[in-house]
Amino acid sequence: MSDTIVALSTPPGRSGIGVIRISGESALLLTCSLLNDPNFSPEPNRVILKAIYDPDTREVIDRALVTFFHAPHSYTGEDVIELSCHGSPQLLLRVLDSLLFFGARTAEPGEFTMRAVANGRLSLTQAEAVRDLIEAQTHAAVRQAARQLGGELSARLQPVKDSLLDIIVPLESSLEFVEDDLPEDIVRNISEKLSSLSAKLDELANSFRRGRLLKEGLRVALVGRPNVGKSSIFNSLLSSDRSIVTEIPGTTRDTISEVVNLEGIPVLITDTAGVRSSADVIEQLGIERTRRAVADADLIVAVIDGSQPFTEEDKKIVSEASESYSVVALNKSDLESFRIHNAQQLAQDLILIPVSAKTGDGLTTLCAEIIKPFSANYLDENSFVITNARHFDLLRRASDSLESAGELIRGGLSEEIILAKLYESLRFLGEITGETTPEAILSQIFSSFCIGK
Amino acid sequence: MKASFDEDFDVIVIGAGHAGCEAASAAARMGCHTALVTISLDMIGQMSCNPAVGGIAKGHLVREIDALGGIMGRVIDRTGIQFRLLNRSRGPAVQAPRAQADRALYRTEMRHVLEYTSNLNLRQGVVTDFVIEKGHVEGIELQDTRRLKAKAVILAAGTFLNGLIHNGRSTYTAGRAGEPASIELAESLKRLGFPVGRLKTGTPPRLDGRTIDWEAFEAQPADERPVPFSFLTESIEQPQVSCHIGYTNQEVHKLIQDNLHESPLYSGQIKGIGPRYCPSIEDKVVKFPEKTRHQLFLEPEGYDTYEVYLNGFSTSLPFELQQELVHEIRGLEETKLIRPGYAIEYDFVDPRELKHFLQTTRVQGLFFAGQINGTTGYEEAACQGLLAGINAALYIQGREGFTLRREESYIGVLIDDLITQGVDEPYRMFTSRAENRLSLRFDTSDARLSPYGKNLGLIEDTEWAKFSARRDRIARLRNILLETRFKRSDPEYQELARILQKDLGDSISLASISQLHEVDIPLIFNLLPSSFRSQTKLSDLETSIGDIIYHGYIRAQHQNNERISTQGDVQIPSDLQFNVVSGLSHEMVERLERIRPQTFAQASRIPGMTPGALTTLLFFLKSSKN
Repeated sequence: MSDTIVALSTPPGRSGIGVIRISGESALLLTCSLLNDPNFSPEPNRVILKAIYDPDTREVIDRALVTFFHAPHSYTGEDVIELSCHGSPQLLLRVLDSLLFFGARTAEPGEFTMRAVANGRLSLTQAEAVRDLIEAQTHAAVRQAARQLGGELSARLQPVKDSLLDIIVPLESSLEFVEDDLPEDIVRNISEKLSSLSAKLDELANSFRRGRLLKEGLRVALVGRPNVGKSSIFNSLLSSDRSIVTEIPGTTRDTISEVVNLEGIPVLITDTAGVRSSADVIEQLGIERTRRAVADADLIVAVIDGSQPFTEEDKKIVSEASESYSVVALNKSDLESFRIHNAQQLAQDLILIPVSAKTGDGLTTLCAEIIKPFSANYLDENSFVITNARHFDLLRRASDSLESAGELIRGGLSEEIILAKLYESLRFLGEITGETTPEAILSQIFSSFCIGK
Repeated sequence: MKASFDEDFDVIVIGAGHAGCEAASAAARMGCHTALVTISLDMIGQMSCNPAVGGIAKGHLVREIDALGGIMGRVIDRTGIQFRLLNRSRGPAVQAPRAQADRALYRTEMRHVLEYTSNLNLRQGVVTDFVIEKGHVEGIELQDTRRLKAKAVILAAGTFLNGLIHNGRSTYTAGRAGEPASIELAESLKRLGFPVGRLKTGTPPRLDGRTIDWEAFEAQPADERPVPFSFLTESIEQPQVSCHIGYTNQEVHKLIQDNLHESPLYSGQIKGIGPRYCPSIEDKVVKFPEKTRHQLFLEPEGYDTYEVYLNGFSTSLPFELQQELVHEIRGLEETKLIRPGYAIEYDFVDPRELKHFLQTTRVQGLFFAGQINGTTGYEEAACQGLLAGINAALYIQGREGFTLRREESYIGVLIDDLITQGVDEPYRMFTSRAENRLSLRFDTSDARLSPYGKNLGLIEDTEWAKFSARRDRIARLRNILLETRFKRSDPEYQELARILQKDLGDSISLASISQLHEVDIPLIFNLLPSSFRSQTKLSDLETSIGDIIYHGYIRAQHQNNERISTQGDVQIPSDLQFNVVSGLSHEMVERLERIRPQTFAQASRIPGMTPGALTTLLFFLKSSKN
């Protein structure tokens, strides 16, 4: 039988909850170790609150919701444990590390799904979607992964690190060699230099969102008031008949998700229930799920009926959507009463795309607009992206340290305190690029300045 | 060869330089019957190079030596002739005391201190070999055929091992100018299989002060309030003198450039590696050709001599050329050289041979301290001597060895660096070598280290009482600073707001005031409750304010380091074969095998270790522990 695999099942990065999935024969055994409870034998499909312990220090590191899925009644068909932990990247990393320590192996991309297919838990149609997903991931993400393996992140950080050293070296020299005849102007404009460095790090860190999309797929939610044609658009995008399209408002009472492959990037499209006040309990439930889908989405497509005057609800939907990255699809462009200019009053800077779910007009443009900031061409030409949550975290910390160093300088604090922050930043960068030893800094001092009484 | 021994000791220290003196003093005071053997009893505690102690990082080391119960700080406090606290304009973590010494007085005082130490015996002689039995050191042999027995031997030979002096094209063996080198002892180390390398250092010419035009130089006076090195010193009593600052010029540089072929450094005659932070004047001129002048210090050698040390002008050029160069310097046109500068090459042993207790792994009971371990500087040597002396005593007494952590001391940083990294040039201490620089202030050395000194028996009861009193005074002051608050209506508040030209909120504590960078110590002193003012020492106030201003930064730093330090304590079994750790590359295994780190923290400091290799190692260590 296969070994036990483990992975973070929710997107990396900071979030409310992070779900770690363990699948395989020893899933339960590993969990017992992690919970420091040898007698843990949970009832399947029941959620239990348990404490997670650090294997080393035996201290509680988190309290998590633990769910046991007994083989074969699980996603993979094997014994599966899902741990819903708090969503801090460091914490999740620590839990993952502990599981690896107890003998689990990190799952390959798509491995859970592959196991599900192997164990007959997924149908052929579903398997096709999975294959598409995995292929999509390999298509664009592999190149990205290869770049990082080739040390491109390290290479990109090198100039930042060098500039940081160019700040540290004169500061350090002025402290350490106070009796030497150093040039008077060696310490200048440090505050400005730090701001520019920290901006560079932020830029790299911010590429993490796009990097994550490459790796995990893009989540798109279709929102709009009932009967504006969300499901029709959804179906057109999918070119299938999965959603039930009727004339009765509120037919889609649950959310339905499908994966499509757009330019090599897996896009998970979620058709949501129409947003409106409703007394119907089932529909209320659907609306609740809609809100969740919106919260999870990387991009929101607000669907508006362009053939009718805009309602207060439309405005509300668009304004909520505009808080996230969003596109407005102005549906029913095939109808006589369709008016595009009406939409301008909704929001000034929104991207408006007239579409007709019925005729298919404008759908290509909509697809292109959805994928535009994430497309392979855009990424290739414009930037390098971070796909590793650890790298993201380190870059953010490195940037934060530089910013606080800048504040200390503006506050007139002494060099040794500023340097403590600069070294902190250097250490974070060093966890990606390799350490900068004091020896290396001293070497640079000696080659820059004539030191020695 | 006679088989019996002439004398029987617990500990023998070879060499009476700065390492040897500390080693002998510590071992003797820890109850060991100790001999200090030196080629010349008249040169005990000799400063081979510049007549000064301390400076940034080095001053920190002296304070740490003193806090542990060492003697260097006490001796320089009685013999220093110009005290200065460096970096006064910066925070206390990077301030450090420095003092010019009267070279002869320092020697006399050091010998006096050693002669008045019970259990300590001075012996003059040239050591030629070790007596070794079954991997254990048994004693030493002298050139005059004497044999001295010992359970532990500390070798602190300085630059004497195979010492070779260069002056122009001429070379001759010597330990220092005018003193014989230790050739046979160096050979015996090689015979024992120690990996020996060559290092180089240099010294500038000494001038006849009567022939200097002092008007041409800028005087650098001593501090008005000299800060002593020893926590036991109440105040510096001896009169203070000035140093003088001058510069080289383009004529000097040109003359050097034109005569580089005369320099053994550039002719290839010198093989050893010199320190980059103490370059010769030849090096300065060649490496920084854009500099139009280099700074020089005229340092007095003592009260009763006109000899002057030309700091910044270290050279191994021929004597006649040195004289010519000096004449090109403004103010030295008529100046006569008393002694020429020279370069010296000497043997050192790769310090990765040592355990943290400074004991060699090759011979039981044999300890190395000072320049033999690849360091440079009196202070670096002295602190190793102290630790070697302590550990030799503990070894004999069957007690566990004594080490200091990097996090708590510069001494810990120095020894850890030596043993895990080795050296490729003479190692000097810098504050930037310490990860926890903000916690390692010179004025907290006592708080950090004196309890160890007390436990080891190096701090006497009366000294301990002084330590405790200071500790309590500082704690009390810290509370006063935190508790004393000024309201908007208080006259002190209004006065302060007027001076600082800013709003201070509805009320402000004295602690918060002391964190404002515009505020100086005398101002805080004047804001203390009047009842405390009379009994408060300025130095205590400085220390308690230092505790307050760094508190937040140290805590933040500590949190960031936590991950590293909690893992850092993970021990690596001394018999671990790194090639059994699956997942480690061949290269990483090689690095680990060469250094053989004892803890994970040490492994993580090995140059070139990748994060991946460290993680692999950590998992291995943890899983094998369970």
